[in-house]
Amino acid sequence: VPHPEHENSHEFFAQFFEDYYAESDEHLTLVRRGLLILEEKFRDPSAAHALLDEFFRSFHTLKGISGMVGLTEAEQLSHQMESYLRLLRQENAPLDKRSIEILMTGTAKLEQVIAARRNEQEIPSIDAVVTSLTEITAESDSPVVAPSEDDQTDEKKAETEELQVWRFVFTPSAALSDQGINVNQVRTWLQEAGEIVRATPVVKQRGEISFEFIVTTAAGESVFRNWAQANLTYERVPGELEVASASIAKVEEPDSPLTASAATMLGSTGVVRVDLERLDDLMRMIGDLVTSRGNLEDTLKALRRSMPTEEWRKLQEISSQMHKQLRDLRDGLIRVRLVRIGEIFERMKFVVRDLARESGKQIKLEISGEQVEIDKFLVERMMDPLLHLVRNAISHGLETPAERRAQNKLPEGRLTLAAATVGDTISIEIADDGRGIDIENVRATALSKGLIDPGATFDKENLLEVLCSPGFSTRLEADRESGRGIGMDVVMRAIKELGGKLSLDTEKNSGTRFAIELPLTLVIAEALIATAGGQQFAIPQSVVNEVLEVDPASVKILENNEIISYRGGVLPLARLAALFNLGRKPDGQLHVFVTGSGTNALGIVVDKILGQREIVVRGIGDPLVQVPGIAGATDVGDEHVVLLLEIGGLRQLAHDAKSTAHV
Amino acid sequence: VIPFHHFDEVIKVMTVETTTESEPFILMELAGTTYGVRSRFVQQMEMVEKITRVPNAARAVEGVVLARGQVIPAVSLRLRFHLEKIPYDLRTRMVVVKKDTRVIGLIVDTAREFLKIPTAAIEPPPETISGLSGKYLEGIATLNGRMILVLNLDEVIDLDTEIAEVAPDA
Repeated sequence: VPHPEHENSHEFFAQFFEDYYAESDEHLTLVRRGLLILEEKFRDPSAAHALLDEFFRSFHTLKGISGMVGLTEAEQLSHQMESYLRLLRQENAPLDKRSIEILMTGTAKLEQVIAARRNEQEIPSIDAVVTSLTEITAESDSPVVAPSEDDQTDEKKAETEELQVWRFVFTPSAALSDQGINVNQVRTWLQEAGEIVRATPVVKQRGEISFEFIVTTAAGESVFRNWAQANLTYERVPGELEVASASIAKVEEPDSPLTASAATMLGSTGVVRVDLERLDDLMRMIGDLVTSRGNLEDTLKALRRSMPTEEWRKLQEISSQMHKQLRDLRDGLIRVRLVRIGEIFERMKFVVRDLARESGKQIKLEISGEQVEIDKFLVERMMDPLLHLVRNAISHGLETPAERRAQNKLPEGRLTLAAATVGDTISIEIADDGRGIDIENVRATALSKGLIDPGATFDKENLLEVLCSPGFSTRLEADRESGRGIGMDVVMRAIKELGGKLSLDTEKNSGTRFAIELPLTLVIAEALIATAGGQQFAIPQSVVNEVLEVDPASVKILENNEIISYRGGVLPLARLAALFNLGRKPDGQLHVFVTGSGTNALGIVVDKILGQREIVVRGIGDPLVQVPGIAGATDVGDEHVVLLLEIGGLRQLAHDAKSTAHV
Repeated sequence: VIPFHHFDEVIKVMTVETTTESEPFILMELAGTTYGVRSRFVQQMEMVEKITRVPNAARAVEGVVLARGQVIPAVSLRLRFHLEKIPYDLRTRMVVVKKDTRVIGLIVDTAREFLKIPTAAIEPPPETISGLSGKYLEGIATLNGRMILVLNLDEVIDLDTEIAEVAPDA
């Protein structure tokens, strides 16, 4: 595939940042989860200490990696958090509700900064948070400036004194990269040898880039010489430099490795991060294997006559074994992509907690179905819509304790997040027991914005439609909680893009319930492959009741309908090529697959049915190619995309075709 | 293998402050005119092969293709700009762009060049270019007497207007 040269380097940086986002996300998730635990357990000194150690380690890493990608705001903020955590760990600052609050604010801000960088938005100001952190740190700073040297043993002291500060410069190149030497490799070496205090990208005159690492280490040049092939230059940084003295104070790490209690509480061990694209690559490779095995099978069939039966049988057996193994391999890979939906719900806890505090409402969050597994792809795309629905429920749905008491409700509002798998779909529910959506109010707003006609009927049925129309926003647009982020129209679009459905149920004074239904995007299905108008289509086996071959002469025309007699009744036909405006093939035997049963039965006419095969269903995400009658796509061995039919949409098309023909 | 000759272009991605105010562009040819799209939006470029038609899709949508394991729409920029359609040949390219969460293949006559355009060289499109063509442009850059039309990617991939003209020959 030809492309200009720059692309690889561009990609390299994209990848570099992707790694950064993934790693920072991992740490932030851990911290967030830990903070919620800390909030409950901060009075238990051993649990609190374990968690603080864990946070310290995470912010220390966050500082390092943020520096490496040049995101200074994140680096600074992480640095302040780290300093504050040090005070808390050394009990030079009290650990109480207030300090947890401070940690939460700082974490949220850091998250915003990284998200803004990721979405190419303006980086939010960190001044306020940094100032408040600096103030607190300064308040109780005096005992910490000289790190508690007194209680260090002599041995340890000696060790500390030998620590020296070095400045390493690494310049990546294509040749080095070929040998597997890249920034990450160098970072690993340096981490093993000592402590990376700071890492910064440096741009040279000719646009060449290198990375500068400030490292404190007790190791000497004999160790560094091992890295000669990496073109890594190094020099001592004189001890009195500001960076050096500051950094020595910074380097001490929690003395124990991850303490057992923190590990169990956070449950983060034994997890590997993998890029989704790599999984896609693997899936493609498995697809190739499946195709090769298919070829082997064909060749075997051709050889049957010309080979001794016994040998042929053996080969045949191996081939079928491979078939089964390949299927297991593919299923296994698909399972790798699945993550527990609890990952999203976990984040919601944090949001709910914040919003409850800000709005002065009391909220009981009930979560169920955390164990439901959903494709990682879906997780990423569902995050914002869910956040929005949760925010809406809290700011518009749930009432204040006083309002609730007046309604004879418990002062504590209930918010439910529930997930479940139903057949091939996942349902996610966001429900509250608040005031419900005021339909009249929505109607009035929609009227005033010209979104509906004054004469039109307006009820629960079109409520959702109006709520989700672009430009509709209830109440004050500047409403703090729901004002930021996205609107209901975006929620609806995101769900539709995933081939999902959104529904709404609301009752005055008893609450609102949003239900999202999503198809499992990555599923393996048995499908029939058929052609119509010269194009191949896949039809899910599960919707096909029967395949018929029909003599064109037996087709009766009834007004605009083509029908045949079928099982003592009639079967209406719809020609796929006509529904899709494809070329019509000359008449011959008709190939029909029957979907539905009884009065609901419909025969869909194709040119030819090629056979049956296992397919990996892929979603079609972009609205440009979301058309009625197509549910997704699959790629057959040669990288060619085949569209997957969706029967509901085909029925609608067939219905529409008839009604327009009537006119 | 990472060629490092072009690091200066990507530095922008990493650092906020830069010394020269310019941005890298991928240049594409369409009916004898040069268009530019910011290279940070370009994921990759491919030869055009195996497009699967999508029934009843918008006129400019040629179909779907598989790009890095993802099924994405392939949009003909000629059709999008209401230019005459020509058969694909060896020079035809699909420029895969990523804007926000959307990934779309744009089919152009050819695309081979890469150029840094100083921000100062990009002027807003003259108001006399009206209608659709004006809407698709973010600006016009003139470099060494060469004119480059800078695409407004958001408008180009927003096919609401096209979707309305679905299936003209139905």
